[in-house]
Amino acid sequence: MDPVLTGLIVGIAFGFVLQRGRFCMNSAFRDVVLLKDYTLLKSVGAALLLLLAGYAIMDSTGMISLNPKPLTWGANLLGSFIFGVGMVIAGGCASGITYRVGEGMVGAITAVLGLSVAGYLTAAGFLADFKTNLQTDTKILTADGGNLTLANALGIDHLVLALIIFAVAVVIWFVLARKNGESDVWGATEGTLVEKIFKSGWGWLTTGLLIGVVGLFAFPLSAAAGRNYPLGITAGWIGIVKKVLDFSNPDVALGWLSWVIIGIILGSLIAALIAGEFKFRVPKVGVLVQTFIGGCLMGFGAVTSGGCNIGHLLSGVPQLSLGSILAGLSIIAGAWLTAYLMFVRPQKG
Amino acid sequence: MTDVTATKTLDVRGKICPYPDMDTMTTLKKMEKGEVLEVLLDYPLSVERIPRNLKKQKHKLLESEKLDGPDHRMLIEAYGLK
Repeated sequence: MDPVLTGLIVGIAFGFVLQRGRFCMNSAFRDVVLLKDYTLLKSVGAALLLLLAGYAIMDSTGMISLNPKPLTWGANLLGSFIFGVGMVIAGGCASGITYRVGEGMVGAITAVLGLSVAGYLTAAGFLADFKTNLQTDTKILTADGGNLTLANALGIDHLVLALIIFAVAVVIWFVLARKNGESDVWGATEGTLVEKIFKSGWGWLTTGLLIGVVGLFAFPLSAAAGRNYPLGITAGWIGIVKKVLDFSNPDVALGWLSWVIIGIILGSLIAALIAGEFKFRVPKVGVLVQTFIGGCLMGFGAVTSGGCNIGHLLSGVPQLSLGSILAGLSIIAGAWLTAYLMFVRPQKG
Repeated sequence: MTDVTATKTLDVRGKICPYPDMDTMTTLKKMEKGEVLEVLLDYPLSVERIPRNLKKQKHKLLESEKLDGPDHRMLIEAYGLK
């Protein structure tokens, strides 16, 4: 299949789900300390569990070949922490600011600009040496030179470990859900199915599972395009920057991930137009500067760490990469600290 | 439309995440019990998140009305946390 087409289709599906489900890891993590709201965090959890079991089964049947990112602990800790700080300042994670471009939010456009420019400078510009040295100096591999995962570090078969974690988490979750008596996990209870899909907000479980389904399809389609890894965001934007900088050069082509990015914006735009939620929203100049700076921190952090919240958290954690797990924890730490300093502490004073 | 008159109006249109929520919550915190806050907002995530969090603070959502496009108008009765 044509990689342009599969990239666009995956992107459009992803963008549609992101917009309808309001899926954003910045909100998911930040709202825990800010509003004691766990709704989006539960969506993230559902998506990760589905991907954990799904990728493990797909790998064991030969449909995909797992490709966990390496553990580069210094780069993972520093880069992802800065990414976490940046996303709270920018008002959205890498996927959040990308889908909000399709909703017409100008603050998201400036954030994406910062992410792309700083990402490019860290990948191929004056910050590249710093990033490469930090990654090389703090890289730890397995005894036979492979990338460390929770499975090979513990010496347990990947499929067995993935299914154990999946089963234990699902059981705990059911017990907790029963105790709390949740009812609106799927979304609106009134209205026709069309209204539920295209007009009203989705429940956290619907959103989480559909994000997971997009991730499951993304892996084999991406691999077929010659890129053996599931979803990502930052590298896709950097690919677009490279093409823009060298537009007339036919040798510089947009990769699969860059087509996913274009698809996300299209999918989100379509969803927002149908729901009547598209509007150009221009915040004050100060806010545009703020989201641009936040985006710059995200771009630098993501490339230094080897992935953003999608590359590491959504795609790497389900493959049990130790580097991605460390990066994920570091993103959360950066986001919590920044949310506390920006929003919680000023209220107490 | 209900015939409640708002004591105060807060326009958070164009604001980025999470300011629509934060501004609404901090304004409500400073209001007397029974006073009504009118909030104008256009951020879809907050349109769904604010009602969830009002419950926790015991403020009462009197009305959430859809205007043009993503614009919404909420009327919220303050619980009186002052």
